[in-house]
Order: sequence, then C-alpha cells, then structure tokens
Amino acid sequence: MAGVTAGDPSWSKHVADVLRRNGIRMFATVPDSIVTQVLEHLGADAACRVVTVTREEEGVGLLAGAFLAGQRGALLMQNSGLGNCVNTLGSLNVASQIPVVLVISHRGDLGEFNPAQVPMGQATPKILDALGIRSIVPRSIAELEAQGDGLIKLAYTRALPVAFLLPAELTGGKLG
Amino acid sequence: MSAPLTRAIATRLLAERLGNEVVVANLGQASFDLHAVADRPLNCYTFGAMGQCSSIALGIALARPDVRVIALDGDGSLLMNLGSLCTIATTAPPNYALVVWDNEVHQTTGGQPTATAAGSDLAAIARGAGIEKAMTVRGEDELQRAYDRILSEPGPLVVNVKVAKGKSESGLDRDVIGGPRRFIRALAARGRQSGAS
Ligand SMILES: Cc1ncc(C[n+]2csc(CCOP(=O)(O)OP(=O)(O)O)c2C)c(N)n1
Ligand SMILES: [Mg+2]
Repeated sequence: MAGVTAGDPSWSKHVADVLRRNGIRMFATVPDSIVTQVLEHLGADAACRVVTVTREEEGVGLLAGAFLAGQRGALLMQNSGLGNCVNTLGSLNVASQIPVVLVISHRGDLGEFNPAQVPMGQATPKILDALGIRSIVPRSIAELEAQGDGLIKLAYTRALPVAFLLPAELTGGKLG
Repeated sequence: MSAPLTRAIATRLLAERLGNEVVVANLGQASFDLHAVADRPLNCYTFGAMGQCSSIALGIALARPDVRVIALDGDGSLLMNLGSLCTIATTAPPNYALVVWDNEVHQTTGGQPTATAAGSDLAAIARGAGIEKAMTVRGEDELQRAYDRILSEPGPLVVNVKVAKGKSESGLDRDVIGGPRRFIRALAARGRQSGAS
C-alpha cells in the first residue's frame, strides 16, 4: 500500500495462533481480502469451526449464543462490518456482559485508495471507544505477540468484547 | 379449523411438552409469555438485539450439538435478520428449530403492521433460503403436529405460527446480567450426551 511499509506475510498465522492458543474454536465472519488470510489458517484446522454469516451482526448473535453454551468465539471482519454490529454489541454483549473477540481489518486509514472506506475508517476507533470496547492496534508481529494474549484474557476477565484492530502497517493493507 | 391461537396458548402447549431442551426467546412478547407460562433455567430470555434471537439460538445449537435448541422469534424481528435463515440452512444443525410467533405486527412497540400483514411468507422465505422443513401452521391441531416434529425429527425446522394480536403481561424483570448467567449455569450442568434429546 502506497506510503505504508508492507507487512510481514506471516502476520496472519500469528493472529490465528493467538486466537487458537487462547481457546477460541468458534469463528464467524464476513470476509474481506485481509481477514481471509487469517481464515485460511483457521479453515485448515479441524478443531476450528468457521461460520460465514450474511451480515456481521448475525455473527455477534451467533457467538453470543456459543458463549452462553460454553464456547469462546471470535468475529473476523472488515471495519465496515463493525457498523453492521453496533446495536447487538451494545444491547446484547455490553448490556449482558457477554465477551467476544473482534478481529477487524482496518480499512480507510493510512494509505487508503477507496474514498468510500474513509469515513468508517476514521470513525472506527471512536465507535469501539463509545461502546467501551478495549482494543489494541498492533503495528508489528512483535506488538501483536506482546499484547494479544493479554487482550483476550481481559475479555473473559471483564466479560466484555475486545478488539484487535489490524492496521495496514501489520497486514500490508489492500493494494489499490 | 380450530379457534385462532394466542401466543400465550401456543407457548403453553410447547412448555407442557418440554423436557431438557433449550428455549431462546425473542425480546418483548415472546420472552414475557415464556416467562409467565414456564419459567425454567434452560430458558434464555433476551432483552435487546432485535433480530438476533434466531442467531443466538444457532450459536448455542452449534456449540452444544447434544442439546435440542428451540428459538421463539417474532415476525418483525426475523424480518430484520432474514440472512439468518441462510446461515441456518448452510450450517444445517439437526438440533435446531425456529418457531416464529407471526402476529403480523410489531406488537411490542404498539402493533404497527409488519410485511407479513401484506403477504410476505416467512415459511416460503425459509424454504427459499434452503431450509426444507419450513411450514406455516394455524390452530392448535396443526401446531401440535409441528411440535411433534420439532421434538422428534432432525432439524433444522422453521415453524411459522399465525397467532392473534395482543400484548402479554409478565413479571419478567430485566435482569440482563443475572438472567443469562442462570442460563449458562443450567446449560453447563446439563451433561453432554451423544445425540440431541
Ligand atoms: C434495532 C431495533 N429497532 C427497533 C426496536 C424497537 N422494537 C422493539 S420490539 C419491536 C417489534 C418486534 O416485533 P416482533 O418481532 O414481530 O415481535 P412482537 O412485538 O410482535 O411480539 C421493535 C420494533 C428495537 N428494540 N431495536
Ligand atoms: Mg410480531
């Protein structure tokens, strides 16, 4: 991506491994070209279940159900999908203290080529903050490894959603 | 044909036949009636997230294939999350049934008509999404035959139940944190078996 240092291609395996080693086995997604790289690792793992939903909000509901039934879940999506989830994250997960791990590729920020991505891209951190969702923005594999386990542990200690907001510096972004 | 059903009667007829199934109820009327008729720890009431009842139940069914899961949704709420029918069809859990209380209105917010009042057919939409066992029932006899199937056949099933308009009275308190925790404990305590029962 222009103006952004390209990511180390092994980033996606590190993300998948952080999720798996913290006991997450149920995954919901509406894919994009970035999170699909994580999904390739998860889809190849017989211990993991990946459900492709039609709208990200459905994934939030589905993973809330999985948590009520004793399973940890993560929702993999583009930040545009965060907009599709807001009401359920607020009125179900935050209100009822139901944790979920959000793995969000961050479009619409540094190096973005598509003007339609920019408004939600700029609003994304504020939407997470407004819901009280703790997030990390790992800009390197080293930062991901340093913070990822702690973020997931916090989700279940606090019983609230958390977010990995994955910037183009980590993932290489999407080339225009 | 039997007399028009009320949601409270339809809920009671189901409750009378329940063993250790999980029941997930939509926000508002569906949760109020279920609580009034048969409060039990394996009931999962919801208080927000309009549209997500069927998805929450799907997540439970996928995580616990040994437990039969029945969702009690509303027509307006399912209409808000029609894509859920496609995900139910795609994942096809045999331990899953979706019952829709189709009163053709948004009862909880004052009775404004939904699209089913104008003819949108939720059972046909479910079939179009790929769920073969999808039906509309009217009256007690048809409803009991649908419950026979829900409680014995492999799913997924979608049963759209035409019910009369009308509000429910309920003492369900909005314990949005404690309610789900009671459910989590009850489901965890239900031992795992090899097939849905
Ligand atoms: C996202 C969202 N939009 C609107 C509402 C207001 N609301 C609460 S219940 C309801 C109607 C639900 O209709 P239906 O599912 O048919 O259930 P009924 O009330 O008829 O039992 C509405 C519109 C809401 N809670 N959330
Ligand atoms: Mg209704």
